[in-house]
Amino acid sequence: MDPRFTELLIPFLKHLRGRELTETSPLPALGLDSMQSIELLFAIEDTFGIALPDEDLNDATFATAGSLWGAVSAALAAEGGTVSAA
Amino acid sequence: MTVTTLEPAAPAPPEMAERVAQVAATAAEHAARTDREANFPVETLAAMRETGLLGLLVPTRYGGLGGGLRALLDASLTIGRADVSAAMILAMHCQQSAAITGHAGPRLREELLPRIAAGQLYLASVTTEAGTGGHLLSSDAELAADEGGLLIDRFAPIVTGGAHADGFLISMRGPDAASPSEVSLVYAHREQLRISRSGDWQPLGMRASHSVALRLAGRVPEDQVVGEHGGFSRIAGQVFGPLAHLGWSACWLGAASGALSRVLRMLREPASRARVNLSSELLLTRLSRARQRIDTVHALLRHTERMVDRATDLSTPPNQLLLNSLKITAAEQCHLVVEDLIDAVGMRHGYLRDSPTRLERTLRDLRSAALNYSNDRLHLADGRLALLDPEVRCA
Repeated sequence: MDPRFTELLIPFLKHLRGRELTETSPLPALGLDSMQSIELLFAIEDTFGIALPDEDLNDATFATAGSLWGAVSAALAAEGGTVSAA
Repeated sequence: MTVTTLEPAAPAPPEMAERVAQVAATAAEHAARTDREANFPVETLAAMRETGLLGLLVPTRYGGLGGGLRALLDASLTIGRADVSAAMILAMHCQQSAAITGHAGPRLREELLPRIAAGQLYLASVTTEAGTGGHLLSSDAELAADEGGLLIDRFAPIVTGGAHADGFLISMRGPDAASPSEVSLVYAHREQLRISRSGDWQPLGMRASHSVALRLAGRVPEDQVVGEHGGFSRIAGQVFGPLAHLGWSACWLGAASGALSRVLRMLREPASRARVNLSSELLLTRLSRARQRIDTVHALLRHTERMVDRATDLSTPPNQLLLNSLKITAAEQCHLVVEDLIDAVGMRHGYLRDSPTRLERTLRDLRSAALNYSNDRLHLADGRLALLDPEVRCA
């Protein structure tokens, strides 16, 4: 996962409490609720200059840090941007 | 149905309608008394047990009636005409049974589903908690685990039928959960729990739903967790949410349809026709408006039913928005049907308890609809979901 991604994601996870964020970290259990999902989405779109396609806006995308990063990196690739390795 | 793991919507067997009619007749017979006394409709529950309707959604291989979503909604509409409290009792029990069918482990399914089908197991749900304000997906009451199993100790402010249920599905924070959002769903037999009741039950309407406050404490084996630990949010999204919004809406629509039907029958009686001017434009407009509201909710109910039957992912914003819109619209419009009818027929038949129109009771009952998982809360969720669907793709 891109460090810019984890850096913007961590403040939304109030129950992470300093533990390491991995691809399998479950976002809802770590405190991401529906209102925050929207703010997180806006933050991602602003930071990476992308728009996630509407069909990615479902529970599966927001399930884990890895699934969300998968959607973000796919959108970056579609925009022709570069994706740095985690 | 692809998502909630009910059996595909098959045409209801002919006897299904008879079973439902029998329960509706029992509900109608006792509704005035259970409303007056704010008591649970024990006779109607007995009829649900005897007719097999408690097993409405239980697959036939477990001895159930094998009904799908359509059968559940049709039963809710019919019983809702007689007594909306009784209809809600059945609809909510069926949600619980669907959660067990779709998410319980094999041992628990084999134990519970035949008993539900045989009418021996009426299920209540304990998914609201003081402090969460109807928000289902977080819990501060935590399950503790030891070598003897899972320890339950939980206060629940509102448990419909809780004094009469044979078993409970209880949501609690999972053992060792990292956050209040990791909620588990646990089944407990009545005899596995010490149950104490607090407070009185004296509501405005839905009085026969007998939704009392309970404290539940006890110990259950680990395999009575339904789904995996922390898996309640998935069950809520796939089973409880859709079946609650569809089932409640059908109950309310049944109640509003019953109210309009009784008013129309009364107006068409010869004695009434001699007294009431049926060509009054005001009366006709009010009847039209009531019927329009009913047709609107009915169309939305059936459309949402088809969406849930066909959807592969109910979590998308368009699908969630449709499910929430159904609940909000049914709650508002069914209540307004009764308001229209009270204005249409006036004080004697609109406001007095002993009128055969039963508008007074129906108005009190349907006043709860906007509060039963609050419309205000759903509008907040829908505003957020609307932001996630800038294209506005209606489901």
